[in-house]
Amino acid sequence: MIGRAFLGTLRAVFTDRSAFMLIVVSTILYSFFYPSAYSGEVATRIPVAVVDLDNSGASRSLVHKLSALQQVDLAERLSSPMQAQSWLQTRGAGAIVIIPEGFERRILNGAQGIVSIYGNGAYLLRSSTALAGVGSALAAIGGEAAVDQAMAQGAPANPALSLVQRPLFNTREGYGSTVFPGVGFLIIYQTLLMGLAMLAGTMRDGGGRLHFSAHSLVGVALAFFVIGWADIAYYAGFVFWFQDYPRAAASPATLLAAGSLFVGATVAAALALASFFRTRERPLQLLMGTSLVIFFLAGLSWPAEETPTWLVMLARLLPTTPGIHLMVGVNQMGASLIDQWVEVINLAMLVILYGIVAWWRLTGLDVRRQRIFSAPVPSGSQ
Amino acid sequence: MNAAFLVSARRELAFLQGSFWDLALISWLPLALLAAIAIQISSGVMRDLPVAVVDEDGGGIARELVRRLEVAPGLRVAARPVSMLEAEHVVRSNAAYAVILIPQGLERAVLRGETGQVSVFYNASYSTPSGSILREVSAVVQGQARVLATQQTAAIIGPARVRAAPIAVQSRILYNPQASYELQLVALIHPALLHLLFMIAVVSALGRELRDGTIGTWLAGSRREAIAAIAGKLVPYLAVFMLWAALATTYLVGLRGWPVAGSVVMLMAGYLAMYLAYAGMAVLIVGLTLSMGQALSMTALYAGASFAFAGAIFPIESSSAFARLWSALLPYTTFARLVAEQWMIGAPVAMSAKLLAILCGFLAFGLCIGLPRLLAASSNPAVWGRR
Repeated sequence: MIGRAFLGTLRAVFTDRSAFMLIVVSTILYSFFYPSAYSGEVATRIPVAVVDLDNSGASRSLVHKLSALQQVDLAERLSSPMQAQSWLQTRGAGAIVIIPEGFERRILNGAQGIVSIYGNGAYLLRSSTALAGVGSALAAIGGEAAVDQAMAQGAPANPALSLVQRPLFNTREGYGSTVFPGVGFLIIYQTLLMGLAMLAGTMRDGGGRLHFSAHSLVGVALAFFVIGWADIAYYAGFVFWFQDYPRAAASPATLLAAGSLFVGATVAAALALASFFRTRERPLQLLMGTSLVIFFLAGLSWPAEETPTWLVMLARLLPTTPGIHLMVGVNQMGASLIDQWVEVINLAMLVILYGIVAWWRLTGLDVRRQRIFSAPVPSGSQ
Repeated sequence: MNAAFLVSARRELAFLQGSFWDLALISWLPLALLAAIAIQISSGVMRDLPVAVVDEDGGGIARELVRRLEVAPGLRVAARPVSMLEAEHVVRSNAAYAVILIPQGLERAVLRGETGQVSVFYNASYSTPSGSILREVSAVVQGQARVLATQQTAAIIGPARVRAAPIAVQSRILYNPQASYELQLVALIHPALLHLLFMIAVVSALGRELRDGTIGTWLAGSRREAIAAIAGKLVPYLAVFMLWAALATTYLVGLRGWPVAGSVVMLMAGYLAMYLAYAGMAVLIVGLTLSMGQALSMTALYAGASFAFAGAIFPIESSSAFARLWSALLPYTTFARLVAEQWMIGAPVAMSAKLLAILCGFLAFGLCIGLPRLLAASSNPAVWGRR
C-alpha cells in the first residue's frame, strides 16, 4: 500500500505537466536565475564626485590621492555643491566629497581641516558600506596630504585604540552568499507547497474532500520527502558549490538530520495546507505572492531582535523561519544541532503539529465518510 | 462600447462577490502581507543587537570599553564568554551576531603610547545586523580612543603636543537623513508585493474565462466591444490596487512620518502606470499560453523575483548581462527608480516623467501581441478548458 501510493505520487509529479514544471523544472531554473541577481560585487567601490571649493595645494593633493583610492571611482570634478547634488540625483548609489573653502588655512593654523562626504540615502543599503570605507580611507590619506602641517608642528599622536574587523563563516561576504542560501530553502519550501497543493486541488476538482488510507498518506508523504531531499541535495550540494558559496560546514550527520527536519516540516505543512484546496489553480494564486514576506519573516535579512515578539512567534509557525536559520547555521556557520537547539525543537514541533492536521484532514478522522482513494492518481486530464 | 465596458465590469464585481478566495486575493491577503512587512520593519533603526564580549585583559581600559559597549543604543552585551572558543558557540547558536575581543596586554600597550588593538568578529551570514553592529562598535572604540588620547597621551608626552588628526571627515546621508531602513525597505517592498498580487489577479481573471470556456460569451460582439469588455474587466482590479497603493503610501507618510520629498501625484501616477504595465504583460502572457495554470506559473517567474532584480537593494549594474537584461524587462525596476526620485530625492517632475513613458511602453507592447491572440481565442472553442 505504502509503495503503491509512493510510486503513484511520483508518477503524478512527473506526468502532470504543470506540477512537473513547478516542482522539478522551476526548482532548477530558479537555482541559476536568482543567483544572477546577486552576482553584483558588494559595493566597496563607489562613484564619487568631488567639489573642491578651496582650490589650494592641500586640497588638490587630497583630490589627487582620492582618485587613487581603491574604494573610490572618481567620476566627476564639479565646481559647485548644487551641481554635485543634481549629479547625485541621477547617479543612484554614489557619493559627493566636498572640500570647503579655507581647508588649507585651517590645517596650517593647526586646526582640523574638515571634509564632508554625502551619500545617497535613496540607495541606503547599497551605499552604507561603501561610505564607511571612503570615510576611513579619506581620513587616512588626509594625514599624508597634510604632511606640511605635520612638519611644522610635530607628528600627531598614535590613536590609543584601533578596531580590527573580521568576518566569521561567510568570509566572501558577497550578496549572493548572504542572501541566496536563505532564498534557496524558501524556493524548496514554496515549490513543494504549491506543487503538492496543486496536485491535491486537481484530485478534488469536482469531487469532495480527499480521503486517504493511513498507508496511502504515508506513501504520499514519503514521495514528497524524497523530492524535498533531492532539492536539498541539489541546492546544498551542487548549487552552493557551483556558485562557490560557503557550504557543508557541519558534519555529514548534522547536515542529514537538519535537512530531514526541514523537509519533514515542509512536507507536513504542505500536506496540511493542501487538504484545504479545492481547485487546481488556487494554490498558485494565493501562495505565490507570499514569498517575499515569508523570506523577510524568516529573519535572515531583517533580524528577529528588531521585529515585534508576537510577529516573531507567528513567523515561527512557518517551517522556513526555523528552517532557514538551521540550514544557514549548519551549512555556513558549522553549527551543531545543540548550538541550534531552538530551531531543532521548533521544526520538530511543526512536524508534529502539521502532521496531526494533515492526518486529521486527510485520513477522514473528522468525517465518517468512507470514500477512500487507494492511490493518489490525479485526475488532471478530466 | 460603453455598455460593453460597464457590463463586463459589473459581471466581474458580481463574480468577486460570489468567490471568497478570489476576493481574498485582492482584499485581506494584500492587507495581511502589507501589514506584516510594515510591522516587522517598523523599528527602522536597529537597537540592542546582541553581541558577546571576551575580555582577556581585564584592566581599567577594557572595563571602560565594556561599559561603553553596554550603553551604546545599538548594542546589547548578551554574553561574556571567557574564551574565543566559547564565544564562537554563542554566535553559532544565534545568541549574538558578533564577538568583541579585548586582547591581553591592551592596557599595557596603551599606557606605553602604542595603539591597542581591539578585534570584532562578526557573523557575515547575517549581514544586516552585523553591518549595524560594526558601525556602532567602531564609533564606540573611536570615542574611547579620543578620550584616551587626551588623558593618557597627555600624561606621557605633555598636553601641548596633543592634537587631533589634521583632517576630520564628516559623513552625511542625503535624502534619508536618519538612515532609516523603514523608509528604504517598506517603500520598496510594498509596491513589490502589490504589483505581483495585481498581476496574479489580472492573469487569473483573464485565464479563468479560458479555463471555464466562458470567454466566448464574455467577448461576444464586435471587436471594439470585446476590447471594451476586457478593459471593463480590469478596471475593478486597477481601482482596488490603487486603493492599496494609496493606503500603503498614507501609512508611511501620514502615520510613520516619512514625507514625500517630490510629488505625491507623480508617485501615484507611477503606481497607476506600473499597474497598467503589468496589466499589459498579463494580457501578453495569457494570450501566449491560453491556459490559466501556465499563465500563473509564468507570472511567478516574471513578477515573482522583481525585488531581487530591481537594482534598488542589490547592485544590478555590476552583475551579469542576463541579470541586467532581465532587470530592464521588469516594470518594477522602473517604478523603484521613480520611488527613489520622487519619494526620497525630490527630483524634478520632468526627470521622472520619462519613467512613466517607459511604463506605458510595457502596456502598449503587451497589448499589441497579447490582445489579438486573446480575441482570436474567444471564437475558438478548441483552446478553451486547458488546465
